[in-house]
Amino acid sequence: MAPGWLRAAWMTALFFGIGFGLVAGIRAFAGWDPAIDWEPIITVAALTMAPIGFLSGLGAFDYWLGWAFGAPTRPDDHSGHGARSWSDYFRINTDHKVIGIQYVTTTIVFFLVGGMLAMLVRAELARPEANFVDPQTYNELFTAHAALMIFLFVIPAFAGLANYVLPIMIGAPDMAFPRLNALSYWLLPIAGIMMLASFFFPGFGAGWTNYAPLAVEQPFGNVFFSMAVQWAGASSIATALNFLVTIITMRAPGMTFWRMPLLVWANFTTSLLVVIATPFIAGSQFFVMFDKVMHTNFFDFAEGGYPLGYQHIFWFYSHPAVYIMMLPGFGIASEVISAMSRKPIFGYRLMALSLMAILILGFSVWAHHMFVAGMAPWLRVPMMVTTLLIAVPTGIKVFSWLATTWEGRINFATPMLWAVGFVSMFVIGGLSGIFLGAVPIVIHTSDTYFVVAHIHYVLLGGSLFTIFAGIYYWFPKMTGRMYNETLGKVHFWLSFLAFNATFFPMHIIGVQGMPRRVYTYDPQFGNWNLFITISSFVLGASFIIFVYNMIVSWRSGKPAPSNPWRALTLEWQVSSPPPLFNFDEIPQVVGNPYEYGVPGARHAILSGERAPTGEAETVQR
Amino acid sequence: MSAHSETPHGGGHLHPPTANQSSRVDAPTLGMLLFIASEVMLFGSFFTAYFFVRVNAGAEWPLEPFELPKFVAGVNTAILVTSSFTIHWALQSIKRGNRAGLQAGLVLTLALGVTFLLTQFREYSRVGFSPADGAFGTIFYGLTGLHGAHVFVGLTLLTFATIRAFRGHFTPAHHHGVEIPGIYWHFVDVMWIVVYATIYLL
Amino acid sequence: MRAGPLIRVILVALLLAAAATAVAIFVPWLPDQASEEAGRTDFVFWFVTAICIGIFAIVAAISVYSFVKFRVRPDDDSDGPPVHGHTGIEIVWTVVPLILVVAMLVVSSVALARNDRVPADHLRVEVLGQQFAWVFAYPEEGMEVGKHKLACIDRETRLIADRCKTSPNLRLPVGRSTRLYLTAREVIHSFFVPEFRLKQDAVPGMTTAITITPTKRGDYPVICTELCGLGHALMRSRAIVTSAAEFERWRRSPSGENGDTSP
Ligand code: HEA
Ligand code: HEA
Ligand code: CUA
Ligand SMILES: [Cu+2]
Repeated sequence: MAPGWLRAAWMTALFFGIGFGLVAGIRAFAGWDPAIDWEPIITVAALTMAPIGFLSGLGAFDYWLGWAFGAPTRPDDHSGHGARSWSDYFRINTDHKVIGIQYVTTTIVFFLVGGMLAMLVRAELARPEANFVDPQTYNELFTAHAALMIFLFVIPAFAGLANYVLPIMIGAPDMAFPRLNALSYWLLPIAGIMMLASFFFPGFGAGWTNYAPLAVEQPFGNVFFSMAVQWAGASSIATALNFLVTIITMRAPGMTFWRMPLLVWANFTTSLLVVIATPFIAGSQFFVMFDKVMHTNFFDFAEGGYPLGYQHIFWFYSHPAVYIMMLPGFGIASEVISAMSRKPIFGYRLMALSLMAILILGFSVWAHHMFVAGMAPWLRVPMMVTTLLIAVPTGIKVFSWLATTWEGRINFATPMLWAVGFVSMFVIGGLSGIFLGAVPIVIHTSDTYFVVAHIHYVLLGGSLFTIFAGIYYWFPKMTGRMYNETLGKVHFWLSFLAFNATFFPMHIIGVQGMPRRVYTYDPQFGNWNLFITISSFVLGASFIIFVYNMIVSWRSGKPAPSNPWRALTLEWQVSSPPPLFNFDEIPQVVGNPYEYGVPGARHAILSGERAPTGEAETVQR
Repeated sequence: MSAHSETPHGGGHLHPPTANQSSRVDAPTLGMLLFIASEVMLFGSFFTAYFFVRVNAGAEWPLEPFELPKFVAGVNTAILVTSSFTIHWALQSIKRGNRAGLQAGLVLTLALGVTFLLTQFREYSRVGFSPADGAFGTIFYGLTGLHGAHVFVGLTLLTFATIRAFRGHFTPAHHHGVEIPGIYWHFVDVMWIVVYATIYLL
Repeated sequence: MRAGPLIRVILVALLLAAAATAVAIFVPWLPDQASEEAGRTDFVFWFVTAICIGIFAIVAAISVYSFVKFRVRPDDDSDGPPVHGHTGIEIVWTVVPLILVVAMLVVSSVALARNDRVPADHLRVEVLGQQFAWVFAYPEEGMEVGKHKLACIDRETRLIADRCKTSPNLRLPVGRSTRLYLTAREVIHSFFVPEFRLKQDAVPGMTTAITITPTKRGDYPVICTELCGLGHALMRSRAIVTSAAEFERWRRSPSGENGDTSP
């Protein structure tokens, strides 16, 4: 039967049945009572086997299985490549451009869902005594809110944007492993649906950090979280691997590492972080899941387990993860700021090297989330040193962006507004990180709203702002149409102001001592919280403008020229949207990507153009 | 899909331009090496849990009532190490165009791998404790089970290579399909030596 | 770079720094200060705040200035000057933050070391966190401390010895250092008193410790700040600081009597 949704439906059911039979069979065989125990059955059949069945039905493994069983190789007709109608977005598609759009739209849906959960959180917190939801539901709300935002919005949204532009930027016709790329995407909806389904089992409410031993005590929905993280993690490891191989082996002739756009550099370092760090969160979630379903004792202190072990393993991933959620944004900001300021990036090499410095330092700071957790006291000062040192490479980036805008000819189109807004908001978030990194201060502020303020200044003011910068910047390239500039600017200003009104006061109530993760609080914080809730509703409303702008412009915006920003990187040198295989012939790279204002400078020569003249070569320093 | 005869977006090409090869390593090998890097980190998280439990216990290891069959596991180690040589032999054979050697090498490797797994299962049924018996049981089954799962994956990959070998696929010039599962198999072996040394000997 | 723009940026920066300082001074940030440790923490807090205000002012000033000064109409086709970098400036903005970071590190480490010391003559209090209440236990002088650094609480059975005086509220004498030894029954909790600027997780199966030296009599909230289940938001208690004499009187009274209502 042909791959597709119908086959996916019955194969999902089939694999669920196989999983069911496997567990029940083993239990009956081993004489465990009862043979039909739903917790292990759901874990294996619904959360592990059914997704594999779904993917097989959709056709994710068809080619590989044919190869594995030695079927005669047929020449690739590229029928799985490119989109001719909207239905091509709903199947296994191997075109990195289609996958990029699949990623971005799916993650925006998860963003809206996660944002709606935040609205419910804020509704509960509007008044100290409000009893809008019960305590368990409240815990489930902010946990799912954070989990969706982190694992299903920020991380994959960056992967999606890079998926679209990165191969074109380095002059490659596609990613190195197109089928793996398709598989990575289809793991995402699975993870997202699993995470949301947890609400019905009933949900998990141990926070997105899911600390043991509380996690083991949670309702069964916790296993849904653990497995959803596995699928999302597998997706991001596969994508990262794909990016790394693509960047290393498929650059166009002349595209040396020192000629790569900074977005490529940023994704290169991010991918290294993902490949090395993500297995640790896989491990940590396996452990809590085993403790819960198989009654093992990784974290049960009464049986010799070590509860703090969870935190060390979790943060060894999740601190690098915050840079996984920021470095691609640094890349986007560099592209936008340079092109919109009409100036070369200031200190290009140091920009790339500082990414590497953050990568290396990022692995040595995990325990700064555990300053009050009871870990060995001697670990605190070394962790504080490395934590604060990260300010130095990050500062280099911030100052270089500012220097890039200096004396530029700045076009404050919507992408540039988001990029500049990002720089200032991220600096506030980074500085509150410095407060958290200084041990005496964090002993006071840890687990208060000060941390919540920090989270949102770096993740919303940082990651989200750069994602929007990227979406507006590449919207003409992806859709072939221009977005509505006025609506874009209204969206930015409304978000920007409401964002600050929502999250800045959280610093104050945090330092005054309001703890996080509570559904009710001391009445002294009542006024601030009411103000925050009202602002957050305005913030939520601002995204309706965004959704409207995107949908209407995609359908009937005015056609976009191939290079509306007059940018030099390769993706702007091809049509909007780009041809099926990006290039007719692989371009020849002859110079740096940011030579704005340099007379006669060229970044690349595309097919059909004349070979480089001597004068173009001389402008390279 | 039948619509692929018409070209979208007006591009005239139905076939992609050949990508520039910008590095000496080829993509599949590099991909496998990076995948192994992340696998090493996955093992790393399990070893981290192992050392936390062990340091936290602070006592003689293995903990009191438990005893591990060092000798049987030692023999099993020898079996797995031998299989590294047979897979190497298989690869060398096809490089020299010796198809029979390739097939024999692969079958031998498979047989050794399966023997290893069966011995491991037998050990599980004999050691006398379960994953739920204290943190010691947990961490023992955790690490050896994780490794067992990797042996299983490695065997699956090698099975595919064997099927293809018997259907007459690989040639002295094209043998990625043996070489890359082979790299993975060597990784599984080396990892076992580390696991064995840590759990049984250290 | 000509001097003109530089002076203007500095002016904007000073303006912004003044605004930020106003926010820092006029918003009531830190709660009352009721312990010696709080004094040191607050010093670090204001030290870091001063540095951060400076950095923020510079960044914001340049952003605002270029927003106003260097914007062009969207149809302007000209390019900016092709400046690729400037080694001197790049060294400056690597080294200056480095110096500031080192300064913050030194100040923090000193404060941390002082706050962490264990005075010889300290009062010993053991704390058990459980879902969803705190128990404070006062070992008698000379009671033997067990292998888990606890005298009153058995870490395995998590029972509290009868010989210890227990209380749902933390009672402390003013002016004397107290060492708190914390553990938890089932999940992780966290002990937090904003007025003391002190926080420490209580972890099942482990013993953690902090030193408190109260400087002011009063009644302060004890808040649980680690998500510990459904009752997390309500897991609160009081820290009651009294004169040494009053504390001794309370301590000699049998448990449960002489309630915890008087300040
Ligand atoms: C995008 C995500 C992101 C980013 C980039 C960061 C960046 C940083 N974070 Fe943050 N952090 C989070 C996301 C992020 N964080 C999240 C989600 C949590 C909460 C997790 C949870 O518990 O739920 C958290 C929690 C958290 C804690 C633990 C708090 C607690 O729970 O007790 C700490 C403590 O050290 C910390 C520190 C830092 C530091 C020092 C940086 C630095 O990288 C910042 C560096 C940047 C700057 C400093 C600004 C620019 C620099 C200059 C302009 C140069 C000059 C500056 C100086 C000289 C100071 N963060
Ligand atoms: C990228 C990450 C990200 C983002 C974008 C957000 C966005 C928001 N967050 Fe969240 N948040 C986190 C990451 C993020 N958060 C994390 C990691 C935590 C810690 C959790 C934990 O403790 O475990 C947290 C915790 C957290 C808390 C603390 C809960 C607690 O500790 O008790 C609060 C409280 O106010 C909050 C609020 C908000 C709000 C109001 C938004 C708003 O910005 C959301 C705005 C968006 C929308 C409202 C969507 C708009 C959609 C529509 C209007 C629908 C329109 C639809 C159509 C037209 C089809 N967040
Ligand atoms: Cu106890 Cu929160
Ligand atoms: Cu961190």
